Amino acid sequence: MTDILRSWIGSALPDWLIVLIAYLIVTTIVLFYAVGNFILMVWAERRIVARMQDRLGPNRVGPAGLLQPIADAVKMFTKEDIVPRNADRWVHLLAPVVSLAPVAMMLAVIPWGRGWEPIDLNVALLYIVAVSAVSGVGLMMAGWGSNNKFALLGAMRAVAQLVSYEIPAVTALLTVVVLAGGMSLLNLPHLQAGVPIMGATILCNDPAGCSPLLYTTITSFPGSPNEPVQALDLGLGWWVFTPVGLLGFVVFFIAALAEGERTPFDIPEADSEIVAGYMTEYSGMKFATFYIAQYILNFALAALAATAFLGGWQGPGVAALANMGGPWVHAAAALSAFYLLAKIWILFFVMIWLRGAFPRLRVDQLMDFAWKLLLPLALVNILSASLMVSITQWTGAQWSGVVNLDGFASWQRQLIAVIVTAIINIAATYWILSINQRPAEQEWDEELVVAP
Amino acid sequence: MNTLITILFLVFAVFILVAAIMTVTVKNIVHAALWLISSFFGVGALYLLMEAEFLGVAQVLIYVGAVSILILFAIMLTRDLEGSQNRQLTPRWWIALLVPAALFGLLIVPTVMTHAWQLPPPPAGQPPSISGAQQIGTAFMREYLLPFEVAAILLLVAMIGAIVVAFEEREQRRRVLTLAEQVRLRRQRQQQVATLPEPAVSAVQPSEATGGET
Repeated sequence: MTDILRSWIGSALPDWLIVLIAYLIVTTIVLFYAVGNFILMVWAERRIVARMQDRLGPNRVGPAGLLQPIADAVKMFTKEDIVPRNADRWVHLLAPVVSLAPVAMMLAVIPWGRGWEPIDLNVALLYIVAVSAVSGVGLMMAGWGSNNKFALLGAMRAVAQLVSYEIPAVTALLTVVVLAGGMSLLNLPHLQAGVPIMGATILCNDPAGCSPLLYTTITSFPGSPNEPVQALDLGLGWWVFTPVGLLGFVVFFIAALAEGERTPFDIPEADSEIVAGYMTEYSGMKFATFYIAQYILNFALAALAATAFLGGWQGPGVAALANMGGPWVHAAAALSAFYLLAKIWILFFVMIWLRGAFPRLRVDQLMDFAWKLLLPLALVNILSASLMVSITQWTGAQWSGVVNLDGFASWQRQLIAVIVTAIINIAATYWILSINQRPAEQEWDEELVVAP
Repeated sequence: MNTLITILFLVFAVFILVAAIMTVTVKNIVHAALWLISSFFGVGALYLLMEAEFLGVAQVLIYVGAVSILILFAIMLTRDLEGSQNRQLTPRWWIALLVPAALFGLLIVPTVMTHAWQLPPPPAGQPPSISGAQQIGTAFMREYLLPFEVAAILLLVAMIGAIVVAFEEREQRRRVLTLAEQVRLRRQRQQQVATLPEPAVSAVQPSEATGGET
């Protein structure tokens, strides 16, 4: 974007202004993209849940009810803005902003398509984790500023849930950091090229005979000084197809459900218990801001899960189009953006599906689930990820003589790594699940039962 | 670009200072915590301005995301939130002023006296990255291994301490009844009262009932 603007108006304006304008344009595009998806998501969720519950859902406004979100938006704008008399006026006002802003900031580092990245931050994964933690402050402000018991209870629940589920989520993302050898999100889709399970390890033996439609030059093996190689690339070397990626994806996705307050974990706003949680005292556009923040958080988390484990914009045909050069590169970018969007929507559909299928957890079940199941699994997964990297990447010198895998071809090493990590992960999952399913011991003394 | 950075620096600096002053002067303690959070945020922005991305993000993650949430939790679990009638200054406020001033002087005087302010311009080309994640990691694992390990052990000790504080011995552990069980228990008691000539002795002392595990 900056380069395009420079070529157009480079002579007329100082450079810093051009950079500023370019970023403003990019930000606007990304925000419109997210909000457009938000509108469709609200509609899709209502329709799909209605379908699952044997209802009709909104179907009057526009074709199949598609304009319902717009009608809702008009209603939200024109509603009276009510502030409780004893509320802390400024905190109450700022809370929706503080919870929406970090969520919007998360969108900045996600690569939305091949070559379509708003910014390249080399600590992007950490940035997303940090920024999503900030929205907890917004929820706390909402709960406290409303001066309402239900709001405060909801905020406490929301923040406790956010803080405790951050740990498995971050630990699951650490496997990605280990696999990628860095925290940049930009690199992740490039690293997930190739074919399922084997990744980009099936190399071309005869450089002249390999069609550029099937083989691409892979330069970026994670953290290694390897020369560029020609590898079979169908755009399907997603990490979710390896044992490490699969376990990481499952743990991360469940933790993301909890962070986004999706249904099995919608304890903070449990309507049947505490009205609407921290949103109880909000109406009109302030309520809508919370609503937008929640959906965009889900959107961003789905995009992050897709980028980290499902290959991001990687998909069949992207590399082939990009290799054809010329205007086809733009076609490749469009196709890749479509792939990412499709993955996000599939993940979002799974979220809706879970909402239609599962009841709400209790708070103690929530905590047990995070600490006794997800966290141990994620920790084991880090071990597997390090083994995976060391088996596929390390030279004999790095192993310091323990094993020497230098003689093997890269696909053989990948196969060994997949088998080893599969054994570890399956055994660990089975073991941890069996521990958790053991009937709990009697943990209390019957004589000391608390009477009403 | 340099003037722009200077202007941004000044904006952030003023913001941090105002937020910090507000933290210690506002009467409402929750507002003080919120001002403190914005001050932390400003410091993170300063790190970003110095292109120390890792430090900036870590600042936001640790201080804004974790420490401030802890502070807010702690405040909301304490009583007397309406601090407007509380005194801001104790009689010994001058000691509280003296100690930080002395500490600050200890830090700033040697710095001002000995620091080489006229830094040579960095070599052209690759800018020296002082604060990338990799450099920090290497420093932790090589030069500063001992402080790093000590900090890790301290955190572990704190965690174990928290568990010890919250732990209840198995003999003293009490179960919280579900609503159905409470109703059943109450019915049983009413029947006992109805059938027995003298009032039945309650199985639980009322004082015990208040301190149950939640």
